[in-house]
Amino acid sequence: MDESQLIARVRAGDSAAERVLYDAHVDRVYRLAFRLAGDDALAQDFTQETFIRAFDRLGSFRGDAAFSTWLHTITTTVVLNGLRKVKRFRQRETDIDDAHDIGVAQRHAEPDLKARLRQAIDDLPEGYRTVFVMHDVEGYTHEEIGVALGVETGTSKAQLSRARAKLRVALADFAGEWVT
Amino acid sequence: MMDEHEDPKFEQWLKDAAQSYHAPRTTPREAMWTRIAAQRERKHVIELRPWMRWAVAAAAVLILGIGIGRWTAHQPSAGNGTITVATADSTKAQSDFVYRVAATQYLSHTEAFLTSFRADAGLHRGANSARFSRQARDLLSTTRLMLDSPAGKDQRLRSLLEDLELLLVQISQLDAAHDGGGHDTDLITQGMNQSNVLPKLRSAIPAGPVPVRTEGAL
Repeated sequence: MDESQLIARVRAGDSAAERVLYDAHVDRVYRLAFRLAGDDALAQDFTQETFIRAFDRLGSFRGDAAFSTWLHTITTTVVLNGLRKVKRFRQRETDIDDAHDIGVAQRHAEPDLKARLRQAIDDLPEGYRTVFVMHDVEGYTHEEIGVALGVETGTSKAQLSRARAKLRVALADFAGEWVT
Repeated sequence: MMDEHEDPKFEQWLKDAAQSYHAPRTTPREAMWTRIAAQRERKHVIELRPWMRWAVAAAAVLILGIGIGRWTAHQPSAGNGTITVATADSTKAQSDFVYRVAATQYLSHTEAFLTSFRADAGLHRGANSARFSRQARDLLSTTRLMLDSPAGKDQRLRSLLEDLELLLVQISQLDAAHDGGGHDTDLITQGMNQSNVLPKLRSAIPAGPVPVRTEGAL
């Protein structure tokens, strides 16, 4: 059965078809959610929300693009909106903690590459980080990223280039690793 | 020509190193699916509840009516004949009343549904096919129940119910994926217009502020 037939069955209320569609796409959705969220519980929440929305809105899927592209548009919307809410919430908590910790020296970042790289990617502006994770880490094409984020392909390329440039500066201490 | 910012060695090193960034675990498929299915089930019930309320009520009244009808049909006549006739007349009147209530409820909602379907077809070219298809399936069950009830013995009503059944089957089979630009939806609305099903439906609904036409009547 091809995907369009499967989608038609899901629309007709076939729950077995829903499960087949879920199984076909859940890994990629969960991986992207985890990469962007960095937290298993959040990644699971975002994945669930993505599929619930997708099944609810399947009537509006016109088949102009691949189903996976449409699904990843929902994924990125759910994840980025969810992370913004989490960030706002955590920021409020941090502000309260900071008020109690005035005068306490800031801990230095760990010197090892893995931690420095994670910190450098986390510090990228949201748009750069999303494009970088999607392209360089998860292997999405610029076309897929453009559709998912609702930007031009050129914008995706430009953001990736800037993300890499920022990471190069942030990781300058490790230059020996890529020069050799 | 290579861009001044491009450095293939750095880019490859970065790609390899970044694989450790928020490295995902094995996908917890079953756990997530269980929660998705549970949440969808809850949502589905909530979504259907307002729409189903009348259908369930109409079906309940029909079943009650059928029950009363069968019960009265099997009652042995006993004692004073005059009293038996009076009781049977009164029960028959009650039975007729519940059928009228159920039929009016059903016809009113079908009219509202078809009017909404036709208006939407003109505006959105079949974009809401999935929703209408689901609602048509719900209505279809009640239509078939009506056809099997004493209401179906009335030739005029039976003919209308059969037209409605055909129409609802067509709508329930609408598939947004294959309804290219609302073509199937257009065919159904053309059929509706040609068979004058809406005017027939409206004329079958009692005119005026009939109390049973309100949602809470049952």
